[in-house]
Amino acid sequence: MTKTVQMDTSAGTLRIELDDVAAPVSTANFLAYVKAGHYDGTVFHRVIKGFMLQGGGFEPGMKQKGTLAPIRNEASNGLKNKHYTLAMARTSDPHSATAQFFINTTDNGFLDFKSESAQGWGYAVFGKVVAGMDVVDTIEKVRTGRKGFHDDVPVDDVLITRVVEIG
Amino acid sequence: MPVRSGSLPLPAFFEMAVPGEWRAIDFISDLHLCEAMPRTTAAWAAHLRHTPADCVVMLGDLFELWVGDELIDRPFEAACVATMAEAASHRELAFMVGNRDFLAGPRLWREAGLRALPDPTLLDAWGQRVLLSHGDALCLDDKPYQAFRAEVRSESWREGFLARPLAERLRIAADIRQASRTRREFDGDSAADVDTAEAVKWMHGMGARELVHGHTHRPGSQSMAPGYKRHVLSDWDLDQGQRAEVLRLTRDGFERVAPAGPAQP
Repeated sequence: MTKTVQMDTSAGTLRIELDDVAAPVSTANFLAYVKAGHYDGTVFHRVIKGFMLQGGGFEPGMKQKGTLAPIRNEASNGLKNKHYTLAMARTSDPHSATAQFFINTTDNGFLDFKSESAQGWGYAVFGKVVAGMDVVDTIEKVRTGRKGFHDDVPVDDVLITRVVEIG
Repeated sequence: MPVRSGSLPLPAFFEMAVPGEWRAIDFISDLHLCEAMPRTTAAWAAHLRHTPADCVVMLGDLFELWVGDELIDRPFEAACVATMAEAASHRELAFMVGNRDFLAGPRLWREAGLRALPDPTLLDAWGQRVLLSHGDALCLDDKPYQAFRAEVRSESWREGFLARPLAERLRIAADIRQASRTRREFDGDSAADVDTAEAVKWMHGMGARELVHGHTHRPGSQSMAPGYKRHVLSDWDLDQGQRAEVLRLTRDGFERVAPAGPAQP
């Protein structure tokens, strides 16, 4: 079983399949934010070419949004941080992911689960982009700079205008 | 320990009661934020955003130098204020001045969303009574510093200094930092430490069993007298050094933790 969401961005539309069998906690968490409209009007606030696009936590102007409680890290589910996969961002605490996610823009094997330790937990993959890869490629190439105390922030906002579950 | 003739009166103190539903309070101090400390500043900003604590208490010398609230109009300080205002919408931020930023005032509190704490403040957290101070006022053996402190903390000195144009205040501050004598006066003797007898007297007088302070840059927790303990905060330097530490208070007591980082891969 998979769930599918459509993500409309200022650069185009993505279709993302979520694996609710391998990653039930991350999928349910992401869909809870989708249903609440949390992602609508947020930005990709951290974009690093040849690495990933990170978003889901800030509105334009680097205004942080409130979140639900942190979730358990499902990185040990066997899904790998391959090109175009969707994974949860988190702090140095392995089980601290809330709303922020990232899309890998290359194979990032070093982000995969290795062991149940602070260093080895890795980042939980729970979906993959199945349409609109060209949009990911476009966003990856935007110009970035420093904003406040954040690095790699797109100079022109890359907006997530709307995310909806479509199946 | 030398016995002083004539005992100093206990300073007036302010009490901060912690709401029962709070789970954790973070204490930090001596970050000395300035444009030349970008990594330290970024780590501080990330901690304010991501700490699980209900409140972050900044116990002095957050800024390397504060010569008046008009500094908020400069880009670096404006970014710091925006960071605090943003964090203050998610958790409480409390601020006590230190010897470097004692000229911080109401405009900073208002625009950054800070609760200003006088020095000392008594924190009442889940039945634990903890005395909070920057620490410089307790370094009694450093007589030249205490004389300098008494002068610059007077209302007349403050008014006179703040009446000068900002450019002149910045120049005076730069001069102070270049001349080793005045600099030594400004920061106090780096070897000076909190006077044990006076600290215990403060704690005893205020019904506290523990003291949290910064200023000395010598982090650690020690007994000051039977039943009286102090927790000294670490300074932060992630630009030239590798130091950054948070003292966290929960119902279970104190622990030292690393600053919370941003969400990332």
